[in-house]
Amino acid sequence: MKVFRAFEYRRGTTILHRVDPRSKLVYLILFTVLTVYFTRLLALLLVFLSFLPMVYIGKISARWKQSLRGSLFFIVFIFIFNFIPTAYLSGNIYGAAISAIAMSLRFLNLISVFSIFFLTTSPEDLTQSMVQLKIPYDYALTFNMAMRFVPTLSREAQYIMDAQRSRGLEMEKGNFISRIRNYIPVLIPLIISSFRRAELVADAMESRAFGASKKRTSLYILKMGRRDLLFITVALASSLALFAVNLFL
Amino acid sequence: MIRIECVTYSYSEGISALDGVDLEIGDSELLAIVGENGAGKTTLVKHLNGLLKPQHGRVLVEGIDTRETTVATLARKVGLVFQNPDHMLFAETVEKELAFALTNFGVPPEEIAKKVEWALIEFSLSNYRDRSPFTLSGGEKKRVSLASVLCYGPKIIVLDEPTTGQDNLQKTRLASTLTRLNRQGETVIVVTHDIEFVADFIPRVVVMSKGRVIADGPTEEILVRKDIMDASSILPPQLAELSWEIGLNTPSINTAMIVEEIRHMLGRTNK
Repeated sequence: MKVFRAFEYRRGTTILHRVDPRSKLVYLILFTVLTVYFTRLLALLLVFLSFLPMVYIGKISARWKQSLRGSLFFIVFIFIFNFIPTAYLSGNIYGAAISAIAMSLRFLNLISVFSIFFLTTSPEDLTQSMVQLKIPYDYALTFNMAMRFVPTLSREAQYIMDAQRSRGLEMEKGNFISRIRNYIPVLIPLIISSFRRAELVADAMESRAFGASKKRTSLYILKMGRRDLLFITVALASSLALFAVNLFL
Repeated sequence: MIRIECVTYSYSEGISALDGVDLEIGDSELLAIVGENGAGKTTLVKHLNGLLKPQHGRVLVEGIDTRETTVATLARKVGLVFQNPDHMLFAETVEKELAFALTNFGVPPEEIAKKVEWALIEFSLSNYRDRSPFTLSGGEKKRVSLASVLCYGPKIIVLDEPTTGQDNLQKTRLASTLTRLNRQGETVIVVTHDIEFVADFIPRVVVMSKGRVIADGPTEEILVRKDIMDASSILPPQLAELSWEIGLNTPSINTAMIVEEIRHMLGRTNK
């Protein structure tokens, strides 16, 4: 469940924290597209390396590493499910291994780029920037709340796991299938309590007159500045460079 | 027998949840752990079945160091029931919910049936046997969660806030179940804010505050100490407050003793 920590915003003052969320959104989209588009291991590796300076500038290396460690299970999963069929069908173990590593790295890249975005972007700013991008407030708020409840959910998952382990549930026991089954006693309470919480939140919002006025005004308006121009330029230039390198690889 | 030796634990750096706790709990004791919110009660009991391992010091459960074994092994000895039943319940029926732990521990089916039957009766859940636990009321869910742990008969029972959401009848029933299990030789540890429940039913009390044990002893002696009650932000038992208000020489939480004391005082002033 540590993988959720990857998206938990912490206040910060680095340039990455101060850049407008919309600029970071450009960065997020560019690098997500690159990651999905690239297939070769070397290209994906270069994308991965390009995250290192970002992580350093944003001072988020500890949490970023935590998120990578947390996603280890999925990475092993992705590796195995890419490696076995490819190796079986093509008979080329080396090639299969390389492409399976590339797929795993692609996943790591996605985790990293989203992690960089969410670790340095405050949920309020994100909602505000979505509203300024003409996304209806209801949707922006829904998104914001979904993000806001991620840590709550992860804490809740921990409580549930503690409770079930106290009743003798061994998560790590058995073969692959039974390990997945072991999650049922954790997932069911988690899902049910999420529904229940959603209802509670809806009630609480309505009792505080959510949606009473049609037109909302904002206390703060986000403005793009020179910093953002610079940031977007660097993001564009580096993604173009990566794209070019990929062509000639 | 549980020995907690100088245990410290902190969830994140700088904030310690347990700050050097020493505690010894003998076999077949019945005791309560009380203290303000955030005193470290739940953190402490999570150490008893190894969900948390001490960062310093050690916890010995029947001679076994909790760091050297698994939760699944300790859970057979130490049954831990958490505060919120919604964190436990997942099965289709109450009956299956109760059988969950037993199945995990590999108990043979006929034995499971017998133990589930006992728990259904003990916690007045027989009528709900085939109901989904999610359709039950808060108090009923609480009982299912208690039953789902007590049914496998752990030697040591730890209950975190077992009385929340229970009316007086169910509280009394819970107390009699606990007392009976205790008389049969089981160790019962109750973590609670319900000080009247402690005063009425539990002979030994451990008071925690800010990650430390600040008092430990017989309930009737500890709960009448104003200094301890104040230090731990516990609402004292009403009888203790009454005793302080009247200015009794020996404050008490026992109605009969207070009446006796008052008689004594009145008798003296009349003369």
